Amino acid sequence: MVKQMEDRHSVWIRFCHWVNMISITLLILTGYYIHAPHTFRLFSNMDTPRTIHFAMAYLLCFGVLIRVYYAIVAKDAKNIVFSVKEDTPKFPSMIKYYMFMADSHPYYGKYNPGQKMMYTGWLVMVLLQIITGFILYKPNMFMALGGFLGGYMAVRLIHYIVTWLFVLSVLAHVYLDISEGVPVLKSMFTGKIPADFDHGTHEEEIETGTGVGA
Amino acid sequence: MPTKLSRRDFVRLCAGSAAAISMTGFLAPYMSEAVAAGAPSVIWLQGASCTGCSISLLNTVHPDIKKVLTEVISLRYHPNIMAAAGDLAIQEMFKVAEEGNFFLVVEGAVPTGADGLYCTVGEQNGHHITFENLVKTIGKKSNAILSFGTCSAFGGIPATPPNPTNCKAVDQVVKDVPVINVPGCPPHPDWMVGTIAHVLLYGIPELDTFGRPKMFFSNIIHDNCERRQYFDNGIFAKTFGEPGCMLELGCKGPISHCDASTRLFNGGVNWCVKSGGVCIGCTEPQFPAWPMYERMAEMPVGPATSVTVDQVGIVLGGLAVAGIGGHLAGNIATGRIGPKKEDVEKEGDN
Repeated sequence: MVKQMEDRHSVWIRFCHWVNMISITLLILTGYYIHAPHTFRLFSNMDTPRTIHFAMAYLLCFGVLIRVYYAIVAKDAKNIVFSVKEDTPKFPSMIKYYMFMADSHPYYGKYNPGQKMMYTGWLVMVLLQIITGFILYKPNMFMALGGFLGGYMAVRLIHYIVTWLFVLSVLAHVYLDISEGVPVLKSMFTGKIPADFDHGTHEEEIETGTGVGA
Repeated sequence: MPTKLSRRDFVRLCAGSAAAISMTGFLAPYMSEAVAAGAPSVIWLQGASCTGCSISLLNTVHPDIKKVLTEVISLRYHPNIMAAAGDLAIQEMFKVAEEGNFFLVVEGAVPTGADGLYCTVGEQNGHHITFENLVKTIGKKSNAILSFGTCSAFGGIPATPPNPTNCKAVDQVVKDVPVINVPGCPPHPDWMVGTIAHVLLYGIPELDTFGRPKMFFSNIIHDNCERRQYFDNGIFAKTFGEPGCMLELGCKGPISHCDASTRLFNGGVNWCVKSGGVCIGCTEPQFPAWPMYERMAEMPVGPATSVTVDQVGIVLGGLAVAGIGGHLAGNIATGRIGPKKEDVEKEGDN
């Protein structure tokens, strides 16, 4: 029996996801070496990681730009941007589900409020990283901005601590996706997810054929 | 002697002069000509300082400082090197200030606590003259204030927390007067003499965001460091005295602006990194409120409590691992993942 599939991620979402995943992973790895070459012995010289870091920084800028543009144009923003008014009331049922106090959860839309909060937080963190990163990359050009943020040492601190937040939130992201089931992970490659995959109760959407991610 | 040196040439000379050329030696004739033609005089005041900036100025080698002071700069008041003392000196200072058309050099931060009583610099009519008061009254009359040294430019050591005397930078105390910051702990004599020369000959030089003359402070130490190749090759010193880039020993070169790495101190002999020390970032506004021999400052997390970012990372990492592990255990225990789940899915397929 052929599984009935429905669209979840458009090709642009998948493209941006993997481009940003590659650039962020490389930025984190090279960044840790640049931060503490003795502790994180990942490279044998400083030229390679710095070149990669700066190249990936630009790639990330464009990746984020395309993703934000797509979110606005394709009206995808409502799926991923956390709305305090609409999403906060959904938290209790989600927390109950994750704390094993409930066996199922209502249908939240494409993403649950926790995911929305994380993805919106990533946008804020990415913008922070881009701003602080360019201040450190071109200290002469962005001198005023660096001074505004409390000087280069404070900028360094922000850049470093946000990197930690990225590492840890990516850990949580990967774990939660895989623990929800392999089809979720697969859908980021193929764009499709089994129609009967449990997203909470959402028979209406399946019956009308609008799809989970539509 | 040429009589005209264009401003462009002057700035190029200042910015480009390496250790091989003595900038002050080249400038001296032009400056003494300007002084002879009636250029503004200079008053030098010292507040919450260690006199290091004055000592650094005295290290002007070519020509020697005697010539600079007697012929090149019309220096009318300096607490350490003037011959006069007491009322004679104070009255002369006020006389110059009354006449106007002078530049005020301030060395040291301005203590504003206790109405400025932490720093008194003389007496007038039997009353203390506080440094705060003097900088305000004299500064208002000056053409421009030259803040020499990080203390007067940004607050520096005296203004670093806890700062019981409430020291402030000069440009926080005196408003409405152009202030040129020449930071450094101490500033290079060329920076001081060069800035004085620029204001005497051409007026206020081009300044960056923090009020520093661009001709001296537009280079990053790290970019011209003689140990830069070590950095690029990934060779990092673990202890002092080792060859290698000193980034991990706390060098602030990548975030510090000045040309000490090419200009060299002590008449072009040596500078911080060449003598085996790290750059402590003495020309930056935040100096010295950072650990000099640590890569990163600590993060304030509460009153009088700070932690390193790595400690924050480890705690957050521990929480994340505990959270994930706990949830994974819960997932297996409740059968959300594992063999049971597959059964459920098969049932659904059927």
